[in-house]
Amino acid sequence: MNTSRPVSAAPTRVAIIGAGRGGTALLDLLHQISAIDIIGIHDRDPSAPGLQRARDLHIPVVDQIDDLFRNRHTQLVMDVTGDPAMDQQLHREIRPGVDILSGSASRVVWELVRHESALQAELLHAEKLAGIGSFAAGITHDINNPLQLILGLAENLAEETDLHNVHEQAREIVDAVKRTTAICRDLTSYARRSATHQQSLVDINSKLDDALRIARYAVGFQDITIIKRYAPEATLKGNPDELLHVFVNLITNAVQAMEHGGTLTLRTTAEETAVSVHVSDTGCGIPPELLNEIFEPFFTTKPPGKGTGLGLYNIKHVIHQLHGTITVNSEVGSGSTFTITLPRASVTL
Amino acid sequence: MKEFKSGFFVGEESCNGRVLVVDDEADIRKVVRMTLQKAGYEVLEAENGEKAIETINSGENRLLLDVMICDIRMPKVNGIEAIAYFRQNYPRVPLIVLTGFPDTDMATSLLRQGVVDYLVKPVEGEKLKASVARAMEQRKLAPL
Ligand SMILES: Nc1ncnc2c1ncn2[C@@H]1O[C@H](COP(=O)(O)OP(=O)(O)O)[C@@H](O)[C@H]1O
Ligand SMILES: [Mg+2]
Repeated sequence: MNTSRPVSAAPTRVAIIGAGRGGTALLDLLHQISAIDIIGIHDRDPSAPGLQRARDLHIPVVDQIDDLFRNRHTQLVMDVTGDPAMDQQLHREIRPGVDILSGSASRVVWELVRHESALQAELLHAEKLAGIGSFAAGITHDINNPLQLILGLAENLAEETDLHNVHEQAREIVDAVKRTTAICRDLTSYARRSATHQQSLVDINSKLDDALRIARYAVGFQDITIIKRYAPEATLKGNPDELLHVFVNLITNAVQAMEHGGTLTLRTTAEETAVSVHVSDTGCGIPPELLNEIFEPFFTTKPPGKGTGLGLYNIKHVIHQLHGTITVNSEVGSGSTFTITLPRASVTL
Repeated sequence: MKEFKSGFFVGEESCNGRVLVVDDEADIRKVVRMTLQKAGYEVLEAENGEKAIETINSGENRLLLDVMICDIRMPKVNGIEAIAYFRQNYPRVPLIVLTGFPDTDMATSLLRQGVVDYLVKPVEGEKLKASVARAMEQRKLAPL
């Protein structure tokens, strides 16, 4: 199943002028909308940030503004330069029949875009925080166990006379403290508000390992067998925090689907231009009529406290931002596989 | 020669009783063993509920196991299931829960099922020993 929806009408063909902050945000939003086709973007400044973003998205970068004017396919020009001279030039030179969105109109659109992207970020964060409630049991357990060891060893040390034992147990205490510190580090890295659009080279295999560690706090892994089949090299450019969040969500869902145990398989495959992540479970599966619904916000089959229904919705959003796809294969009673494919073309940036 | 005395054996080496520690973490079993051995108990270990059930059903343990200390979150047979099995099949063996997660509802329900104590990690040695000693008292009173 692919999550992109069928489009009823032909898309509106839009040219964007201005590739600064406004143009970049506009690009990011519009290219996700299937009813809009961005046919090109222009900026006077060849080093404007939106131009590189456009190349990553395979959207044509137009060097000469005249070429944009002459493009016979253009239906709407969106001018986000904020430059009154550009506004005048547009009204003078544009072909008749082409709509122009500029000046205060384009500022309103830009404000809407900003609002929308702030909302998305809030939603992502809200879901993460809601999820953290379910971590309480796992974290308490994983911190209290080493604490028991530390307390027991310390009590023993107070009476221990064998110097060899003293040294060994002191070392064990240090290790136990390190383990608890690692838990706190994992959690803060998971819970922090990620800076949107901050991208870096991410090693997908090690992100999956991080996610597996974190997911253990959220759900019980009793009687779950884990199989990892990683491609030797699977890197791509993306937001590391958001990708971590995506993987934690997929793993959590998979484990929650296997109430009575089963096998969780994490597989990565790497091609020259793309990396795929396959998260498979042998759990309850998803009925075919629900395959579209599970990506809707607030759709959940889990009791309150266990599910927010925002996991897959947010995953879809993050994946779209990276120009990837998410598909699911599922059979009721035998399990599900979620496959994410992400381009790594932007690694060249 | 060992002599059977009101529910537990006393051998040449004075033994206060036989305790089974059930926890999936070897570290926890180790420190509990350390604490209880120093207090004169014989300590057996099991890494999950399934192994605990195996242990009590093997040989002399049927008669000689005095107390079980049990974690809740464990693979295979978890603590809740193991406790249910022990209550049903070996009601005279007092049970102590030693868990990493304080859960009032669960504690209430377990205590109602006859669990002697619900201890939350990290628990001090003195407190653990006091709890085991209480359990031993109960064990001595119970009919065979
Ligand atoms: N691996 C899976 N196996 C079975 N059902 C799943 C799986 N992943 C997701 N689902 C279904 O999709 C719903 C929505 O998932 P999600 O958006 O992550 O929200 P939540 O997990 O909070 O319910 C779940 O409630 C569940 O019914
Ligand atoms: Mg979920």
